[in-house]
Amino acid sequence: MKRLASAMIGLALLLPATIAAQEYPTRPITMVVPFPPGGVADQTARPTASAMEKLLRQPVVVSNRPGAAGAVGISVAANARPDGYTILMALSSISVIPEADKLFGRQPAYQLNQLTPIALITADPTILVVPADSPWKTLADFVADAKKRPGEISYSSSGVYSTLHLAMEMFASAADIKLKHVPFNGAGPALTSLLGGHVQALASGPGVVVPHIEAGKLRPLANWGAARVAALPDVPTFQELGYKDVEFYIWAGLFAPAQTPAPLIGKLRDITRAAVNDAEFLGTLKNMQTPRAYLDAPEFQKFLDKDAARLAEAVKRIGKVE
Amino acid sequence: MIETFQNLFLGFSIALQPGVLLYAVVGCVVGTLVGMMPGLGPLAGISLLLPITFGLNPTVAIVLLAGIYYGAMYGGSTTSILMRLPGEAASVMTCIDGYAMTKKGRGGAALAIAAIGSFVGGTLSLVALMLIAPPLADFALRFGPPEYTALLMLGLLVLAYMSGGSMAKTLAMATLGLLLGTVGIDTMTGFLRFQYGIIDLGDGLGVVPVVVGLFGISEILLTMGGASTATVRKPTLAEMLPTRTEMRESVGPIGRGSVLGFIIGIIPGSAHIVSSFASYAIERRVAKRPEEFGQGAVAGVAGPETANNSAACGAFVPMLALGVPSGPIPAVMLAALMVHGVSPGPLLIEQQPGLFWGFIASMYVGNVVLLILNLPLIGVFLWLLRIPFPYLYPLILVFCLLGVYAVNQSVVDVWIMVAVRGCRGHRDAESGAADLPPARLAPSHGVGDEQRRLGRPMRPFGPVRISFPRTGPLFLP
Repeated sequence: MKRLASAMIGLALLLPATIAAQEYPTRPITMVVPFPPGGVADQTARPTASAMEKLLRQPVVVSNRPGAAGAVGISVAANARPDGYTILMALSSISVIPEADKLFGRQPAYQLNQLTPIALITADPTILVVPADSPWKTLADFVADAKKRPGEISYSSSGVYSTLHLAMEMFASAADIKLKHVPFNGAGPALTSLLGGHVQALASGPGVVVPHIEAGKLRPLANWGAARVAALPDVPTFQELGYKDVEFYIWAGLFAPAQTPAPLIGKLRDITRAAVNDAEFLGTLKNMQTPRAYLDAPEFQKFLDKDAARLAEAVKRIGKVE
Repeated sequence: MIETFQNLFLGFSIALQPGVLLYAVVGCVVGTLVGMMPGLGPLAGISLLLPITFGLNPTVAIVLLAGIYYGAMYGGSTTSILMRLPGEAASVMTCIDGYAMTKKGRGGAALAIAAIGSFVGGTLSLVALMLIAPPLADFALRFGPPEYTALLMLGLLVLAYMSGGSMAKTLAMATLGLLLGTVGIDTMTGFLRFQYGIIDLGDGLGVVPVVVGLFGISEILLTMGGASTATVRKPTLAEMLPTRTEMRESVGPIGRGSVLGFIIGIIPGSAHIVSSFASYAIERRVAKRPEEFGQGAVAGVAGPETANNSAACGAFVPMLALGVPSGPIPAVMLAALMVHGVSPGPLLIEQQPGLFWGFIASMYVGNVVLLILNLPLIGVFLWLLRIPFPYLYPLILVFCLLGVYAVNQSVVDVWIMVAVRGCRGHRDAESGAADLPPARLAPSHGVGDEQRRLGRPMRPFGPVRISFPRTGPLFLP
């Protein structure tokens, strides 16, 4: 009896170790979203989490940790225990924050190499829009006018070094024009100021601008993506218009802390691959008019490297704003 | 006009369906509970509960969120009046005279007046929203950063005028508040001010931790220290009902508060905090006995509470008419709609009449539900005051900590709350019910914070001249 008991205790002690390696996950996984509920990251995270939940048979809990344009939540995930139970849904801005920190000589909130990519989920190109009553019918009109009066045409963005700011500067530098930047705190006020006639242009995602284009309030001029957007088939891309290097997406992707063991990353990659084919997941994405842009870790890493380099260059070119 | 009523009829036919009505009631109840939690205001409430709505159909989801929003607005006044625990900057004004009324044994009356004022303000501004939303929305968008700055400056001026007391103290506190508001990222340059390497301070000092720290925590600690008289209050039925004089005195403030709140509410941003203290200042200005303000003036509760709720409704004007996220709360609501495949935009009313009118009708219903919910509940709320302090106050302290933490899941916010409490001297609770320093510090911090976020972008526009006839969108050159 005694022997049986000790054997059972021994077995009980052994079990967690073996299960941890083979049967991960044994407890709920936390998906950190570094933005408040309702934003792009949150809207992508929730359907992804619920599709993963079904496959993992463990809850995937979305935890919103907003603050400092995403830096708070990202650094929480970057410094989390690399045990596979903390993952991160981040946006394009993830590579911008360390660059801006570098520019100001600040202690960086996190380093990009503290995180390892799992999968890219969505990538929306930004669209250049101007008020429908503005004189510019095409991108060429806009560029020609901007050349005539440098620094006079203004555009709004969601903040200094925000993704919307960088997209616009990328274009301005390729077209060799100077525009006036009016940064706001978030994409909402940026759109409001364009509609209110305070600024003359804005780069933002299709989900935000398409309803206003349909209502005849805004006119689209160009698209930052490599291909045209389904909802706006007549809007040319910058690349079609001869701006070869002007490419930009507001993307959302999954990351894990860099030291997470390879088998666990493998499992997370498998689960994500299956989750993005979930019918309910696809239905939600369709509702949001966001196409899926799934890339597995190796391709996502390549995409990320290229994107980060492009954005870092844009940040350096803008430099410190006086 | 006839068409509007036909549409409204359609709306009511949707809002009164048992399934939808149930969610409106649930939303109101949940919202009231959330609003009563110190630290959890309407924004935190709907942000935290937003994910729950993802599984519902869009009309029900928006009705539920609106219910939570409204409920939290009503609920926020309860703790402000009874315990001087404002959940957000806008309720600070209600605290001043509301709590003074409670001390005089008129807490029940203050609650009733707040509920009635909220009902009237909410309903009147709904009527306005329904009839004149589209033209108003276009006007509201013309408020750019310079105009917004001007509005915030007006708010500050009004603040200085709020209640009696030393002008030096007032200005010192307003300045300190504005300084606290400069903490965080500078919108124009991306420079982090007064951040000291703490990433969480990048967004500035949150309004909620500052308000709860200045009022809630202070109140609890002072009571524990025995500085306040800690007697258990036993409310009677007479205390629950406003007297005829009190009712008569609140008619004017409620009427003015409704109009003022709606006008300020439609401006994009978080200008509703200005609405409550502008209303307070106006009431004090028109009062026959302004010296009563701070000592439990009925108008000091009725005006700001009404303005606050009316502004909350006005904030929906740009959102519903143009599909513009005109403030933090409409932004969350729009996000909820997008998840359901409703693309919010200028065509929302045409494309989704059922949703729009259902929403409007359910807000009418929600207002009525909240009124019938709140009036009988006054007894229950007052009963809370009978809980002996040794049990009640530790419990409130826990709720304060939990509430402030829950908003951003941030321990730094909790520290801010505790640190800010230190700004307040230990003795000033005895210096009179008006309680000058915190009552001015908190709103001016709110104004400073708003200015940093939405007013700073006025810089690229160059020097601002007020010009008539206007040459810019509003009066910008």
